[in-house]
Amino acid sequence: MANKLVAHMGLAQSIANRLAARNIRTAKDALSLPEFDLMTLLGVDIKDVKEAVARISEVACPPYQTALSLLEERLMNDTSGSRLPTSLTGLDDALGGGIPFGVLTELVGPSGIGKSQFCLKLSLLAALPASYGGLDGRVIYIDTESKFSSRRMIEIGRNSFPKIFHSEGMAQEMAGRIIVLRQTSLSEITESLQQMKLKLLQHEVKLLVIDSMAALISGEKGSSSSSMSGSHPPKCPFSFLKSIAEFSRIPIVVTNQVRGHNNEEISRYSFLGKDTDRSVEKFETHHVAALGIQWAHAVTIRLIFEAHSGQKFIKVAKSPLSPPLAFPFTVSSSGVTLLSDDGIEMIGQEIGMIRCQGHCILNV
Amino acid sequence: MEVSVLPIASAHKEKLISAGYTTLLSIIGVSASRLAQELIIPHREAVEIIKVTLKCSRAVGLEGTHAVLKGSRTAWEMLSDEQNLKLIRTGSEDFDGILGGGIHCGQVTEMGGVPGIGKTQLGIQLAVNVQIPVSYGGLGAKAIYIDTEGSFMPERAYQIAQACIMDTWENLGFSRKEIEDCQEKMQPDHFLANILYFRICSYTEQIAVINYLDKFLEEHKDVKIVIIDSISFHFRQDFKEMVQRTIVLNEMSRQLMKLAERFAVAVLLLNHVTAKHTEGSFQLTLALGDTWSHSCTNRVILYWDGNDRHARIEKSPYLPSASAPFSVTGKGIRNAIAHCKRLRMM
Amino acid sequence: MSLPHSLEEELPTVNDSFLRFGASHGILSAEKALVHVPSVIDASTKDEADLGVSPKGASRTLSNFESKCLRWMNGVELLDDALRNKRFLPTGCEGIDTLLGGGLREGQLTEIVGPSSSGKTQFCLYVASNVAVKLCGSIVFLDTSNSFSPTRIASIVNQICGPAVKEGQERRIKNIMSSIHCQSVFDIFSLQDALHELDNTLNMQTIREGTKICMLVVDSVSSLITPILGSKSSQGRSLMVSVGYLMKQLADEWNLSVLVTNHMVSGGGTSKPALGESWKCIPHVRLQLSRCPGSSICNVSVLKHTSMACNRSVDFEIPN
Repeated sequence: MANKLVAHMGLAQSIANRLAARNIRTAKDALSLPEFDLMTLLGVDIKDVKEAVARISEVACPPYQTALSLLEERLMNDTSGSRLPTSLTGLDDALGGGIPFGVLTELVGPSGIGKSQFCLKLSLLAALPASYGGLDGRVIYIDTESKFSSRRMIEIGRNSFPKIFHSEGMAQEMAGRIIVLRQTSLSEITESLQQMKLKLLQHEVKLLVIDSMAALISGEKGSSSSSMSGSHPPKCPFSFLKSIAEFSRIPIVVTNQVRGHNNEEISRYSFLGKDTDRSVEKFETHHVAALGIQWAHAVTIRLIFEAHSGQKFIKVAKSPLSPPLAFPFTVSSSGVTLLSDDGIEMIGQEIGMIRCQGHCILNV
Repeated sequence: MEVSVLPIASAHKEKLISAGYTTLLSIIGVSASRLAQELIIPHREAVEIIKVTLKCSRAVGLEGTHAVLKGSRTAWEMLSDEQNLKLIRTGSEDFDGILGGGIHCGQVTEMGGVPGIGKTQLGIQLAVNVQIPVSYGGLGAKAIYIDTEGSFMPERAYQIAQACIMDTWENLGFSRKEIEDCQEKMQPDHFLANILYFRICSYTEQIAVINYLDKFLEEHKDVKIVIIDSISFHFRQDFKEMVQRTIVLNEMSRQLMKLAERFAVAVLLLNHVTAKHTEGSFQLTLALGDTWSHSCTNRVILYWDGNDRHARIEKSPYLPSASAPFSVTGKGIRNAIAHCKRLRMM
Repeated sequence: MSLPHSLEEELPTVNDSFLRFGASHGILSAEKALVHVPSVIDASTKDEADLGVSPKGASRTLSNFESKCLRWMNGVELLDDALRNKRFLPTGCEGIDTLLGGGLREGQLTEIVGPSSSGKTQFCLYVASNVAVKLCGSIVFLDTSNSFSPTRIASIVNQICGPAVKEGQERRIKNIMSSIHCQSVFDIFSLQDALHELDNTLNMQTIREGTKICMLVVDSVSSLITPILGSKSSQGRSLMVSVGYLMKQLADEWNLSVLVTNHMVSGGGTSKPALGESWKCIPHVRLQLSRCPGSSICNVSVLKHTSMACNRSVDFEIPN
C-alpha cells in the first residue's frame, strides 16, 4: 500500500502534476512530509494540501475487517489446525496446541541447553506425514552457526518416531524435506528470503527456523556488547520476518543467545526513579537475551530455556494466550523431553529471568 | 493583518504583494475577475484566494461575541463537559483508581512497558470493555484496533469477551430471564464483530490510517476508542533520519489529538521501551525519544515490581502520580491477587 | 512605542473617500499612510477626482497622522507606564515570585523550558488559576497538546480559595473558572488566527466593560513550531519569528503577561530547548524547569532575564 503511485489516486490534475514535478511519486513520499513542507514545496494553499493528503491517506489505508471475520477467516484457512504441535504434551497444552502459525516464536537460552535440539525436533515434526501427526510440509532451516547435524536429526527421528524412520526410504525423504541454508550474513538471508517468498507458498513450506538470530545480528555489528546501548539499534528484519510469517501463515522459530549480565546492568531493567529496594535475588549467573529489548517486543511468543536447581526448564515467558508456566525437561537421545506435563506456575520477575547454573552437558 | 500570513501558496503571496495587495481588506474589496487579471492567475484561483481571505478576516472580524476567541470555551464549561464524558474501565479497580475511574474519552493516553508485561492484553481488554452495553454500565460503543505488529489474537479477544460477559452478569446479579433477553448483544461473536481491525505493515500505512480516521470516524460515530498497538514498531526500524522521524511523529501526534478532541474518542497508544544512556547509566524509557514524550497527554508506565505487575502514572495534567498493581489472568486484566492489594501514593 | 493607529481616527479629514482610496492601495493604518501616501499622491496627482481629496488635503491629513502616531516616549514616561500598567502577576509559588521579583510581568513574554513531565503544564495551570483567583482577571489559554484539564483547574482553585464560607463558594468557583478561556489550536495558522482575533477582542474590550484579560498562555508553542522548521526553506523560520513578535506586541500593547512553554530535546548527549537560537531572542524571560522523577519538588532556574541576574535557581512545589 505504501508504494501506491500518487498519480493513480484521482487527485486534482493540478496537484497531481505538481507532486510529479517535485518527484513525489508514491504515497510514502507524500506522507513522510509534514503538511507545511508540502505546502512550501508544491507552492499551493494549505487547503489543497490537506485535501490531497486526506485523499492519499484514504487510498493508502488498508481496508479494515472485524475481529470476528478475522477469527472466522483463520479458522477456515487453517484446516490443519493453526498450530504446530511440539510433541511435548505439557507445552502444547500451555500454548493452546503448539507453536502458532503466522507469528514469530523465539527460543532464548544459554548455549548447549538444547535450543537447537528443539529446533531439529520441530523441523522433523513439520516434515512428518499428516498421519503421524506432522504437517507434511517442507522446512527451511537457516543455520547461521553451522551447527546443523543431519545425523543428530535422524537419530532424534529414529528414537522418537521409530515406525517411520525404520521403514525404507522414509528417513531419506524426511531429511530431504528439510532445506538447510548456511548463510552467515543478514543481507544474504534477507535477500534469499525475499526470493523465497513465492516459493514458500508454492512448495508448501510449513516451518521456517533461524538458528540463531543473535549470531546473525551480532556478527553483522562486530561486537555484541553495544546491541542495547547504541542509540541506533541494529536494523533487524523484524517486520520483514513478521510479514513473511503472516502472509504465508507459517510458524517462524528463531533462537536467541544469552550473554552475561552483571549487577551494573540490572539498572537497565528498572525505570527512572524506581526505588532501589526491589533489587532481585541474586542467582549464580544472570543472563540477558543477546538481542535487545526492541527484538523482545517484536516476538509474539518467547520460550526461555534455562537451568537452575540442578534441572533444566522451558518457560513460557511471553505468550498472548497462555499463563506463565515452567516445565522441567531433559535432552535425551530422542531430543527434548519433558519430565512432567504439569507446568509450574511462575510469578513476577521470575518469568523473564534467564538463569544458568554451572554448566550443562548434553547427555548425548 | 498582513497578506504574508495567509495560508496560501507562496507564489500567490508574492504576486499579491507585488500587485500592491498587502492587507486582507484590500483583497476583499476587489472582484475575483479583477484579481485574476492583475495577478495573471486563473479565475478559479483568484476566487479561492478571496475565499481564504474572507475566512481569515472573519476570524479577525469585528463581530463582537461574548467569547474571547471564537470556538474558545471557559474552564467552567469544559469542566461540566468533562464530567459528562464516559470512562472506559480497564477491568482492574485498582488500575481504574489511579486513572481516575478509567481511560478518559477525548484524551490521548500512552501506555508502555517491557515486553510481556501485558500491553496487547490491555489493548484487547479495553477494546472489549468499551462495548459493554450502556444498561450494564459501559459505553455500548465500537472499538478500532490498529495493529502494527500482528500481535492481535482474535482467539484471545474471544476469551476476554467471554469472561467479560460472564463477569458483567455476575456483578449485576441478573436473573436467568433477563440474561436471555439481551442474549443477542451479549455474545462474544457480537463483541468481536464490533472490533474494527486494521493491519498496518509500514509506517506510511500508519500515517495514512491515522489521517483517514478523520473521515472514518465521521462515518462511524459509534466508535469510542482507538487503540494503536504499537505506535513505535515501524518508526523504530524504518527511519534513518531522526530529524525527519521527529517531525513526522509530531504531525501524527497532533492528528491524534485532533481526533480525540473532535470525536470525543479515547485514543490509546501502546509503546515499547528502550534503553537510554543517561549520566553514565542505562535506564529504561519509552521509545521514540524526547519530542514524542512531550506530545502525549497522559502517560502510564507498566512495570514489574517484585512479583506483581504495576502501573504508574508518569505524566498527566490532572492525575496525581500514583501506582497500582494489576494482573493479567486468563480472563484478561484484573486486580492483583489480594495479598498485595495496596495502593501506594507517591 | 507607538500604537498602530487604524485609519478610522477621529480626524475630520479622514472621510469615506479617503478610506476607500487607502484601501485600494492597501493603506489601512496611519503608519502605512505616512509611508505610502506621498508616493502614491505623486504618482496619481492626475486622478484627483479619484482621490476624493486634493493633494493638499491629503498632506494635511498626513501631518495630522504624524502628530498622532509618533508618540515618542522618553525614559521617564516609559518608567511611569511600566509602573502603572505593567503589574507583576503573582504565580502563587513563593519561591518563583521572589526569584522573579514579584511574579510574571505584564507586558513581557515569559518562556518555560523543561523536559517531559517536569511540571511545565502544571505550572501553567497553577499560574492561570492563581491569577484568576487573586486578581480576578481573565486568562486565555491556547492549548496545543490537549493538556488543559478543567478538573485540575477546579482542584487548584478549590485549594487556593481554601475551605472558606460554604455558601457562595460554588458560585465563586464558577465565576473564577468562567474567566479562564481555553481554545485548542493544532497548527501554526490557527495560532496566528487566534492571536489576531485576540488582538481584536482586546480592541473591543477597551470600549466594553468586563474583566480585563491579563494573561495569555500558550502550552506548548514548540509543538506547533517544530514541524514548520523542518523544511529547507526559510518560510518556516519567518513564520516563527512573526508569531513570536505578534505575541510580544500583544503583550506590550494590552499589558498582557504571555507565558509559553517549550520542550527540551536531547541532542548530542545534553538536552537543549527544542526552539533554538533564533527563538531565543524572542522571550523576555526564560525559565528552566526540572524535576527529579518521583518527587514533587521542582527546580526552576533563570536562563535569561531582561532586568535581573541569570543562573539563579530555586526549588518550589506545586501542591497536589
